[in-house]
Amino acid sequence: MTETKRRVGVYVCHCGGNISDVIDVQKVVDGVANIEDVVVARREMFMCSDPGQNLIAEDIAAHNLDRVVVAACSPSLHEATFRGTLKRSGLNPYLYEHVNIREQASWCHKDDPEGGTRKATRLVAAGIAKARNLVPLDPVRVPVTRAVAVVGGGIAGLRSAIDLAKSSFEVHVIERAADLGGHLARPGRVYPTDEPAQDLLTGLLAQARSLPGLTLHTETELVASTGYLGNFRLTLQGPSGEPRELTVGSIVLATGFEHYQPSLGELGFGMSDRVVTLPDFIERLDPRGPTGGQIVKDGKPVQRVVFIHCVGSRQLEGVHVPPEGGRLYEHCSRVCCTTALFASIELARKFPQVDIFDVYQDIRTYGRGQEDIYEAAARAGVTFFRVAGDAPPTVEIDASGAITVRLVDLLTFNEPIEMPVDLVVLVTGMIPRDITPLIEMFKLPRSPDGFLQEVHPKLRPVEVCVDGLFIAGACQAPMDVAEAAASASAASAKAACLLGGDVISLDPFVASIQAELCDGCGLCLAECVYVKALTRAEGETVPVVNTALCKGCGMCAAVCPHEAITVRGWEIKQYDAMVDAIVATGGHP
Amino acid sequence: MNTITDAVVIGGGIAGLQVALDLADQGFDVVIVEKEPSIGGKMISLSKVFPTLDCSSCICTPRMAAAAHHERITIMTCSEVQAVQRVGEHFSVTIRTRPRYVIESACIGCRKCEYACPVLVPHEFEGNLGARRAIYVPFTNAMPQVALLDVENCTFCGACARACPTDAIDYLQEPAITEMEAGAVVVASGYALTETQTADRYGGGKLANVLTGLQMERLLAPHGPYGRVLRPSDGRIPDTVAFVQCAGSRDHSLPEGQGVPWCSRVCCMYAIKQAMLLSGSLPLVDITIYYMDIRAFGKGFEQFYQNARAMGINFVKARVARITEGENANPVLRIERIEEDGRVEDQPHDMVVLTPGIVAGWDPSSVIPVQIGSDGFVLSEHASLAPCRTRVPGVFVAGTASGPKDIPDSIVEAGAAAMEAANHLRRTAYASRRRTEAEAGGR
Amino acid sequence: MGRVDRITDEHPMNEQKPKILVLATESCAYPGADYVGQIHASYPSNTYILRVPAPVIFPEAFYLRCFEKGIAGIIVMACGHECPYEGAYDRLARRVAVVRTRMRELGMDPQRLRLCSICTVCARPFLKEIHEMDAFLSQATTGSVTT
Ligand SMILES: Cc1cc2nc3c(=O)[nH]c(=O)nc-3n(C[C@H](O)[C@H](O)[C@H](O)COP(=O)(O)OP(=O)(O)OC[C@H]3O[C@@H](n4cnc5c(N)ncnc54)[C@H](O)[C@@H]3O)c2cc1C
Repeated sequence: MTETKRRVGVYVCHCGGNISDVIDVQKVVDGVANIEDVVVARREMFMCSDPGQNLIAEDIAAHNLDRVVVAACSPSLHEATFRGTLKRSGLNPYLYEHVNIREQASWCHKDDPEGGTRKATRLVAAGIAKARNLVPLDPVRVPVTRAVAVVGGGIAGLRSAIDLAKSSFEVHVIERAADLGGHLARPGRVYPTDEPAQDLLTGLLAQARSLPGLTLHTETELVASTGYLGNFRLTLQGPSGEPRELTVGSIVLATGFEHYQPSLGELGFGMSDRVVTLPDFIERLDPRGPTGGQIVKDGKPVQRVVFIHCVGSRQLEGVHVPPEGGRLYEHCSRVCCTTALFASIELARKFPQVDIFDVYQDIRTYGRGQEDIYEAAARAGVTFFRVAGDAPPTVEIDASGAITVRLVDLLTFNEPIEMPVDLVVLVTGMIPRDITPLIEMFKLPRSPDGFLQEVHPKLRPVEVCVDGLFIAGACQAPMDVAEAAASASAASAKAACLLGGDVISLDPFVASIQAELCDGCGLCLAECVYVKALTRAEGETVPVVNTALCKGCGMCAAVCPHEAITVRGWEIKQYDAMVDAIVATGGHP
Repeated sequence: MNTITDAVVIGGGIAGLQVALDLADQGFDVVIVEKEPSIGGKMISLSKVFPTLDCSSCICTPRMAAAAHHERITIMTCSEVQAVQRVGEHFSVTIRTRPRYVIESACIGCRKCEYACPVLVPHEFEGNLGARRAIYVPFTNAMPQVALLDVENCTFCGACARACPTDAIDYLQEPAITEMEAGAVVVASGYALTETQTADRYGGGKLANVLTGLQMERLLAPHGPYGRVLRPSDGRIPDTVAFVQCAGSRDHSLPEGQGVPWCSRVCCMYAIKQAMLLSGSLPLVDITIYYMDIRAFGKGFEQFYQNARAMGINFVKARVARITEGENANPVLRIERIEEDGRVEDQPHDMVVLTPGIVAGWDPSSVIPVQIGSDGFVLSEHASLAPCRTRVPGVFVAGTASGPKDIPDSIVEAGAAAMEAANHLRRTAYASRRRTEAEAGGR
Repeated sequence: MGRVDRITDEHPMNEQKPKILVLATESCAYPGADYVGQIHASYPSNTYILRVPAPVIFPEAFYLRCFEKGIAGIIVMACGHECPYEGAYDRLARRVAVVRTRMRELGMDPQRLRLCSICTVCARPFLKEIHEMDAFLSQATTGSVTT
């Protein structure tokens, strides 16, 4: 309990009858007026109005108040208002305590005005008890370096880097490969704009190279990182062999995905050069590709081509067998339905004589304009077969190299189909890329599908659990070019919000340790395993709180046997004081 | 009011709110223009949201509050953009605010007027399944918490004015016009739904137990009109519920306004979600989803779908040719199976949920020369590389204003639109110039 | 604690009803309780709701102290798995279980402490929790349960 004298002002709001119709506000005022340290206790029709706020300001000046309690509506509506009043009156805004006697008293105890009044009195008394224990707080300020590292130089990485360079941040793109562009660098056309992927890339690269402050590091890897948001100290390993240090305020991870590689024999893969994956097929369709745009069998154009969907996607336990040491890919890869249909239209356009078959479970042309692609494929003569997820088709290659596909077609009421084909295109999915070193470096969680896990798909879709680290593009989940670009710009926006000023200003509600009470037992350290805001240097007894990282959850405070740790603004002793007020037996002074 | 700002965001749904927050957090001033009396858009009326099944209000209200309390964000409700004029590199935006007949700055959201009002009318927010007064706070967690008077239904009895503790009722309020100067405009005007339930084949809007997806959202919400899922015709707990997928989508045969040819993108997932929530609250209910393709394409969606199958929800690949009314006001579905033996049969259910098509909420080309696709949604400058930039420099688009989308995708796009708009403002140096001018003028 | 006892209720002794302390999370249960007020649903007035970012902050001893001081029942209203702090909910659940065991050892009825998840619009579950605790405590004070 505090020993210092406080000067508390207490204000009870009528809320134009919303409170005072049920609660006897005068009684509340009288009930708390004699509590120690209370200097003034008043009631007012509308505390939130200008006259109400002025009343507080005048009292602060006239009575030298150093703590203020307002009992009114929910803090969600006016806590910020009254903190502002204190600030304008020259008091630290955190010396304010808000008591909710509308939503949580008058409005829910209409049929019990006496009980409501008693409750309100005790809640106000509890507010006073907390106020007497409040201390001034200041926002946590973290200095920042106005630079960003973007890991990965594919479409998402480039997009993000360009955005940030345009916002005049220093940007470093760190690309492991010798060439930029990732999957976009391969030949082939992309939907929905129907243009060569490489053209998209050329445009982006030209833009990236023209921006001052944007550095492209190819054949370079991020090998180590220390520090935290605002100032990450990175070690890069470049082609020259000499490691290089770099300090950045934030990091965007844009490490992309990998194509699923079917295992040997899976749907005939590897048994014939006429069983190919979709990305390889798209490359062959491109005049700039390895076959010059020709799709041939024994030197003659192919006649019958089948696309088989969901290879390496939507896998089911008991139906699909993961390779040794591998895993099942149960997720949907999102883009392959449209990509495959788009490729089949192009195939039909270039080689009108080809018969095209499409074996699918569900056609997922979900995006804008994609249903048109589906309909266009049907118009182009593609024949569809639908199979059940637990009854995938089979591909047989005989000694002569002839390929036969067998399946049970649900569209023709379970008719067994057996068809000879010249070419099988396996519509392979997108799977997480192996980025184990980065995952270990930053202790990043992965989703059940193996991709990087965002903090919350709706509230914080491009953030990961490490503050200052953002994710962009297909390292998070399968997505198409437009979606990767949007996610990259969203990640850039978050980085720009974070690094906008010279310092990052964070909530003051963080853990704090009273060193003289700490005996170094270390229990708190074992609690803070998620954000790792608590650390203890070698040979030290007392841990230190990294206030830039601390979220103020209080897990550490709960386990400290000596109550040496508190969370500022939400201290256990404040709660104890509030409970004391609630249970106080009362009595006229 | 300050009539100069950095960016005007049209629409205060989840996308518009996120754009505003991501711009304001970068130091730009933003005005949100929302035509409804509350921000929050469609999301605030949803029950729980896929794929995480968290409570929609719990995700949406913090965003609403953050925008409402942000010192750089101004929210104008009951307001619409009437004209946008380009003036050099910036815009002059004309905003018309409809009268609420309640003085916004005086109203304390106590609802005393509402309790005094004798008029009852169907509540749009509850999909007309519940009732509201002629003067009312739009819904419980509306923001701002300010009442409005619906003059169409008001009898001018004066009860509300007498009950109001702050004298906030003003029967004579006039529309207000604000001229706002801004450096960038973001269109986040969201989506609307086709009136699929009025199609003849689905009963012409006359079958009490045929609901739309949004109405089902309200029935499933913990704070919905009945507090639980009941049949509108007789208040009975349904034993069998059917979902008709693509009722208003992927269909060339329905007339405009009742259906659309494209995929509405979220209906598969929300039907699965609603089915899961239903079987959670009514464990004995028998649920069937009639569908063409299940489009569970997003992160975690396929697993969500597989979980629903494992829970015993029936998925039947079939087209629903028509709905008629049978005994006990039970809707009877004429089913044409697309699998098994392809038989055609009549299936009665206690309750049916239709999934209408998703169309654009507003046509911005009436005020800004942005390009609109044949589907009515805003077109972007480059569909792949700059999905949030329109073809008018300085005008951006986010969320479902550029096509049907779920919440995660809308929010991500909103971040992207904010980035584009911020860079436009930086490039044109609009924000810094006007601050310098304001400072010079203030002296 | 001599200082706080100068609250002046008009009839200081007339609150005979056992007091219920509700520890409500700032992001879910506290707005949920506001919501109950907004729809003007009523519940007993012997309930004292305190706002807390994460109830995981309370050590076991805090709960026992509250009971010692005279709180009859405590309901911890958390966010459940929507908890914004990673790992906090599971720890909280474990801690509440430990406290309940301790209460049993001390001869107290562990039902005096409950943990539940309340969302921002969960009016019904909120009221259910309060009414159940209130009914339980009233029954307890009439002697059929040890408190
Ligand atoms: C039944 C149903 C269930 C759903 N369930 C889910 C789910 O579980 N999970 C999920 O992720 N998604 C779900 N969705 C999709 C979700 O609703 C959308 O993704 C999301 O609401 C889109 O947000 P928005 O801001 O783009 O649009 P909106 O919510 O439509 O917001 C647009 C805002 O702009 C305003 N506005 C319009 N025109 C103007 C104008 N001219 N001037 C000013 N303001 C204007 C509108 O009033 C509105 O407030 C569901 C959709 C439906 C129909």
